[in-house]
Amino acid sequence: MQSYRIMVIDDEKIVGDMAKMSLEQEGYVVETFLNAEPALARLKEQKFDVVVTDYKMKGIDGMEVLRTVKGLYPETKVIMITAFANLDTAIEALRGDVHDFFPKPVKIKELKASIRRALGRQ
Amino acid sequence: MKIEHKIILSDVFNVALIALIGFFAFQNLNLVLTKLRFVEIADDLNASFLEMRLSEKNYFLYKDEAALSDIKEKIDKTMGSIDVVKKDIIRAVGENDLAQLKSHLERYAAVIEEAGKNKTKDIELELKLRAEGKRLKEFSESITHLERTRVNDIISSSKEVLFYSFWAIFLSAIIVSHFISQKILGSLRKIERLTKSISEGNFHAVERVESRDEIGSVINAIHSMSEELSNREEQIIQSKKLSSLGILTAGVAHELTNPLNNISMIAQTYGDLYDKLSREERIEFMNKVEGETERIKEIVKNLLDFSKPKEVNLNEADINSTVQKALRLMQNTLDISNIGLKLALREGIPHVFIDENQIHQVLVNLITNAVHAMPAGGKLFIATRPGKDKDSVEVTVMDTGKGIPPEFLPHIFDPFFSTKGEGGTGLGLSVSYGIIKNHKGDIRVESKPGVGTTFTIDLPAYTG
Repeated sequence: MQSYRIMVIDDEKIVGDMAKMSLEQEGYVVETFLNAEPALARLKEQKFDVVVTDYKMKGIDGMEVLRTVKGLYPETKVIMITAFANLDTAIEALRGDVHDFFPKPVKIKELKASIRRALGRQ
Repeated sequence: MKIEHKIILSDVFNVALIALIGFFAFQNLNLVLTKLRFVEIADDLNASFLEMRLSEKNYFLYKDEAALSDIKEKIDKTMGSIDVVKKDIIRAVGENDLAQLKSHLERYAAVIEEAGKNKTKDIELELKLRAEGKRLKEFSESITHLERTRVNDIISSSKEVLFYSFWAIFLSAIIVSHFISQKILGSLRKIERLTKSISEGNFHAVERVESRDEIGSVINAIHSMSEELSNREEQIIQSKKLSSLGILTAGVAHELTNPLNNISMIAQTYGDLYDKLSREERIEFMNKVEGETERIKEIVKNLLDFSKPKEVNLNEADINSTVQKALRLMQNTLDISNIGLKLALREGIPHVFIDENQIHQVLVNLITNAVHAMPAGGKLFIATRPGKDKDSVEVTVMDTGKGIPPEFLPHIFDPFFSTKGEGGTGLGLSVSYGIIKNHKGDIRVESKPGVGTTFTIDLPAYTG
């Protein structure tokens, strides 16, 4: 069976590292990026099933990542995480067809469950 | 006294003056009319007397008895008409002259009577008759003449009185209205100064006044208003402090969220994968946690030391070039804000011993404040010169802005203190103060509301 591909974009290196370690345990193929530009370049050559992205980043931000991903692969699910835990951000993200939204600190178990739902595995 | 009352009083004064003059003119006119009436009567009398004398002449020349009776008839008629206009005559010339006139007429009548009885030509009688007739006519003519002269006198004096009283009223109106308008304008200017000083934020400039006029009420109303504003302003400053504290807190909270999230994720992964991790990996995890706590520590330290600059990196520098660097950053802002720049950077002054980045920050802060103080544009003066005590260099930043109210001056270097309208966080000057103090320098402020503000910085000279 071909593994699901998951991309994690966050300018905090630890977030990518920890997510990668935890998700690989689930059997996913995980690639991490510290900013959006190389991530989007990589997306153009490789389809990912789930993209987990930070909302606020230098340069290209989470909302633009969401738009680009949906433009390339409408069926790819996007999960947004952010340090700004306010309602406006959540509303904007959900309106933009985001699969799920997590304020920091992120619960890894919840993230895993969300990814499972995104992939249609219960 | 109220201004309204003053105006009414001056109006009443002028109207009374006009009424008085009107009354005087009316009286004079009445008198003139009376006199003219008399002159008219007197002319009639004179005509009668002339006729009497003509008849008298006829009697003597032609011995015409009828002439005598003619004279008699005329005398009776004249007596009668004198009685009719008696009042007018008395009013014009007085009872005395009337009595004299009558007695002249009676004596003439008596002589005529005598002449009628005698029937003989008597030279003595003739002379007597002529003398009485002449006297009667002369008297009558003299009072007529006198009355005519009086009428002329009255008219010319009335003319003079009217002429002078016109100027008197005119001058009095001008002087009174000038006095009152000066007083009103003076008071308005006072109010203008007060409101201006209030708009500059100096709420304690207004004292209650005792004056009971309208201006007094206005000043007292302004006093109440400024008290109210003063209270509100304290509330505004308080809420600004709270809101800048809120902004700071939000910033700090966001800064803290990332390392906290990192620690949390490390801990979760550590717990989940404990068995699968090697010893080295576990140690590395804990080192990462330690690294993240260092990050948090740094944030907290920055928060605590926000008014104290971080370590000072002192180097020899030319203060003039530091000023020029700060200006390059601010030049665009100055141009947009319509602020003219005047520099007086003294050549050849001692070099300073500073952290150039931090002093740059202080200068940018001061220039920004100056720009905020001159919303409608103005002038910015920046000068450098040797300090008073040789071991220092002085930098002044002077604006022509709205100034700082004296009661705020002691607080302007306090953290979170911000005066209205600048939209500042109240941290700029407090940070600048900390930086200058860390340089063992000094920062002072002088300000005059409505004139401008001058910040003076003393920095230590480089001694090698």
